[in-house]
Amino acid sequence: MNLRGELLAVWAVTLRNALMGARNVFFFFELLFWPVVGVLSIGLMSKFLQLTPDQTSFVLVGTLALSVVNVCQLEVAYAVLLDVWSKSLKHQFLAPIGVRHLTIGSWLVGVARGFTVFVLLAVLGWWVFDFRVFDPGWRALAMFLLGCFLTAWVVGVAVCALITLFGNRAEAFAWASVNLVLVLAGIYYPVSVLPDSVALIARAIPLTYFLDAYRVHYGFPSEFHAPLATGLALSGLYAALAHWAFLAAIRRARRTGLLLKMSE
Amino acid sequence: MLAIDARDVTKTFRSGWLRRRETPALRGVSLAVPRGVIWGLLGPNGAGKTTLLSILATLLTPDSGTVTVLGHDVVREATALRRRLNMASGRPSFLWSLRVDEIVAFYGRLYGLSGERLRRRVDELLELCELAPFRRVQYSELSTGLKQRVALAKSLVNDPELLFLDEPTLGLDPDVSVRVRQHIARLRREHGMTIVLTTHYMREADELCDEIAFIKAGRILARGTPGELKRQIRLGEVVALRLDPLRVGWLADAPGILRCVEADGWVECTVDEAEKRLPELLRALHADGVVVRNVQVREPELEEVFVELAR
Repeated sequence: MNLRGELLAVWAVTLRNALMGARNVFFFFELLFWPVVGVLSIGLMSKFLQLTPDQTSFVLVGTLALSVVNVCQLEVAYAVLLDVWSKSLKHQFLAPIGVRHLTIGSWLVGVARGFTVFVLLAVLGWWVFDFRVFDPGWRALAMFLLGCFLTAWVVGVAVCALITLFGNRAEAFAWASVNLVLVLAGIYYPVSVLPDSVALIARAIPLTYFLDAYRVHYGFPSEFHAPLATGLALSGLYAALAHWAFLAAIRRARRTGLLLKMSE
Repeated sequence: MLAIDARDVTKTFRSGWLRRRETPALRGVSLAVPRGVIWGLLGPNGAGKTTLLSILATLLTPDSGTVTVLGHDVVREATALRRRLNMASGRPSFLWSLRVDEIVAFYGRLYGLSGERLRRRVDELLELCELAPFRRVQYSELSTGLKQRVALAKSLVNDPELLFLDEPTLGLDPDVSVRVRQHIARLRREHGMTIVLTTHYMREADELCDEIAFIKAGRILARGTPGELKRQIRLGEVVALRLDPLRVGWLADAPGILRCVEADGWVECTVDEAEKRLPELLRALHADGVVVRNVQVREPELEEVFVELAR
């Protein structure tokens, strides 16, 4: 496929997901309701516990990351979920479409939605809790968001692979997996408070490093050497693995007939 | 030149984690479909029709055997092949919130259409499938017949050389079915498209297909033109008689009579070599004092061939 064809296929998926998102009330809740509830409840709890402004920023950065990653990874998972729910998976895979078109197209919508959530929560955090996301500077903020979006990509593609591998039974992964990753990555606490064995797992998660690098700007010491480079390297590695896993899952689904079962 | 050349194709579905269960779906299927024909695949439920169609359309990989479609190996060259074929199902399903024109446009983009070309193609297909008045209606709000027309429009978006139609008129009103059948025939006539269709409606297969294959329990039992199949099964011809009196005791046991049934005042006899037997039969009836008020001779329906093969 030439470059024009590649871009068209990605655009087709982007447009499809965006149209589906714009027409479903459920998506509105994902985009606005839950993230706002998250920031308000965590922010108010910080006030009740009389945390310092820096400590409040620490936990609100975690809440922001949670919401952005969650919204973005769900959108990536919709690359497969929408077709599983509508039982149209076989039409999608009958067309000359590749894993890269599906995941990049969905991820672009996820980035747009994640960024919308971020702006909304940043304004809310500043207005209600005097939390300033721009204080660390544009570059640090851009790297933090990039880290969130890359983590979302990896988790979303892994969820797509699981659904294609195990069928509808794996749907719960779409909502559960990201929370597990976020708990281990230390969204509300530094990784150093985790037991050693769990901290080892935390060190294998890219978001851990992006959170660490961003929180440095709020006065918290870095726990890692070169966190941004490590986060980017791990993200690249996992993105490649997740892509391969998704490809292998589709090949298996064509062999076992699951592709057809999920379409009827 | 062949559109499809499949040899010794087998497929077994395996299920269960602890207790493995194996369900053989295809057991050594071989077939050759020439280009530009309408080729029908008939068989009872669970015979392997959808499995075979899915393998030919690259949705399923065979366990063994070789399958070449439009000159491409279905496993090794699947991506190149997918650009040249398409499929519509009688049980269509698309994203529920997308509008009719958006669904066709989505698939159009996957096949490389954009801008004015895409817009023109979508308009053409919506006109062709009588969907223009519904272009802005969301898929979930369409009736079954309209959903099937969307599936047909989508299946034509890349102007495929080979089109798979899986029970294309399933659940449609008779008048819509007639129009869909006319449309399928026109696609072959005007575009030279090769069409492979599965159907439960024998009349549809009889009317549309140049060639038919009967599949049962994963094996192709018979193939040929509808006429050849009727002769191959040696069903004889159906002789319908309006007699006075209606019941004639010895008729079912007369030489060359394979079976006799009574329906709506007619006696329908399946007669072996009817051309030779009929004069003898009429003479025997006359000699017995039976008045023959009407006689009609026809070929057996394809449905009767199907019933015979499915036994």
